Amino acid sequence: MLELTDISKVFFPHTVNERRALDGVSVRLASGDFATVIGSNGAGKSTLLNVVAGRYTPEKGTVAIDDHDVTAMAEHRRAAMVSRVFQDPMAGTAPHLTIEENLAIAYQRGRSHGLGRGITRAKREFFRTELTTLELGLENRLGAKVGMLSGGQRQALSLLMATFVEPRVLLLDEHTAALDPTRSALISRLTAEAVERHRLTTLMVTHNMQQALDLGNRLLVMHEGNIVLEVDAAAKQAMTADQLLDQFRRATGGEVSDRTLLTE
Amino acid sequence: MLSWLPGFEGFITFEANTVSALELGLIFGVMALGVYLTFRILDFPDLTVDGSFTTGGAVAGILIVHGVNPWVATLLALVAGLAAGTITGLLHTVGKINPLLAGILTQIALYSINLRIMGKANLPMLREVTIFDPMRNLGLLGTWASVLVLAVVAALFTALIVWLLGTNFGLALRATGDNEPMARSQGVATNRMKVIGLALSNGLVAVCGATMAQYQGFADIGMGIGLIVAGLASVILGQALLGRRSVVIAATAVVVGSVVYRAVLQAALSLEIPVINFKFEANDMKLISAVLVILALLLPRWTPIRRMRSRRREKREEQAQAALRAEEEGRLSRAGAH
Repeated sequence: MLELTDISKVFFPHTVNERRALDGVSVRLASGDFATVIGSNGAGKSTLLNVVAGRYTPEKGTVAIDDHDVTAMAEHRRAAMVSRVFQDPMAGTAPHLTIEENLAIAYQRGRSHGLGRGITRAKREFFRTELTTLELGLENRLGAKVGMLSGGQRQALSLLMATFVEPRVLLLDEHTAALDPTRSALISRLTAEAVERHRLTTLMVTHNMQQALDLGNRLLVMHEGNIVLEVDAAAKQAMTADQLLDQFRRATGGEVSDRTLLTE
Repeated sequence: MLSWLPGFEGFITFEANTVSALELGLIFGVMALGVYLTFRILDFPDLTVDGSFTTGGAVAGILIVHGVNPWVATLLALVAGLAAGTITGLLHTVGKINPLLAGILTQIALYSINLRIMGKANLPMLREVTIFDPMRNLGLLGTWASVLVLAVVAALFTALIVWLLGTNFGLALRATGDNEPMARSQGVATNRMKVIGLALSNGLVAVCGATMAQYQGFADIGMGIGLIVAGLASVILGQALLGRRSVVIAATAVVVGSVVYRAVLQAALSLEIPVINFKFEANDMKLISAVLVILALLLPRWTPIRRMRSRRREKREEQAQAALRAEEEGRLSRAGAH
């Protein structure tokens, strides 16, 4: 369960560049909820994710995960509960480490980094099985450096690393945006499968209206640092991308980001 | 061994030079491993080294002069090195000071501290008991036997580093240097990793300083000057020669690089150009080592060499990539059908 209460985040306070990125946002995701978030540029979507992840500390408000207040908890500590996939496929993996070494680091998320072997035979078997679910043949290339993989493969690996040690909250920050349509579709499918398989509480930012409708059971529309519209599962199912765009325009006063996609 | 033969005096000096170059290369190999930890693993060019090397020599020297067991003295030099690295690490992580500046600040501060430790600029320990005594007493120092012993010691340190980098801690350390935001998002305390990495690195460097002081029979305030260049030269030279495909290869390459570096210096020293009556002196070493590092950095980028290397690499990678891509395309077309 993820509960954000009255979150405000201001960048460059008391300067001419002061920008209110989040303005009293409150939202509650029940355990297993999968919410997609859309919004115009600068609506505060990424800031919201960064506040949940602990990269930014909000000026006001609280972040609670499973009823624990984690607002002041450092990012690397919060990683025991929160995992994330970034938009940039290069951001989520270490290029000079092998596939299995990257997985071993993710496997250790939330545990101590002691002097036990990083990779054991048992772990390797586990990694192999998990990689098989990606259907990319990576299970046969455990010793390959991640820097050798394509963007799509790296993003699939990042997704696996974020989900196979089940986090309390999964954050997806436009994680299919930098990929071509085929690979984007693949990552979307893998995302749906992983969230379903582990029943993860998920918050996903996207600029793709169709993806926002296809994935998850809730849809949030953000504008100028707040949530201006919420669509529930039933309404979401019946809605088309055009209708969503219409609603979006009405809720945000007509502003649409030039990156917003109606369809794939 | 062939000294009774007339005309072989030259060979004898050559052999003696080779042995001493190997001995030095292997001793400094431990320092190069320390530089490898920061420069390559943490991606942190740490200039503390010049100071912490001398700190190691100074701590071991003053303790040995006061009759402390040389092994204990070397161990305490390690502790001093750990402390020096920790300070640079804290300056960078807590103080948010730029890596180069943090290293230089500790280095310059250590200069005064080293003088305080030694009490004077040069501390002779010629008749003291050192860790080299067992070998010296058996008459092994400066022979191939001592080269073998030092090679075993260097191999042990290399194995220790390789083992460490394969633990969960080691993976976290490597991830910190490779992609820090990723490491943090995976729960790695990256600041703590940097401090520990810098401490370990300077610990190794100080042990090397302590060993070197005992090997040469004195500790000197200037013994560490320019050593970061020697360390970088070893890392860059060795890895240019052997590559760094795996941690084992990369770490071994560093020690090999250290030996090659000393051999090149030795060769440069014995170089003579008769016509203009030119000969390098010991004081030219810093210049030679700087030029050597510059060459090691620039040569791989020189077009003919780059072409040769990339052709070799391309062939290797092309095969791997082709297989990989074929596989991925297959999966993708299947995924599209879903």
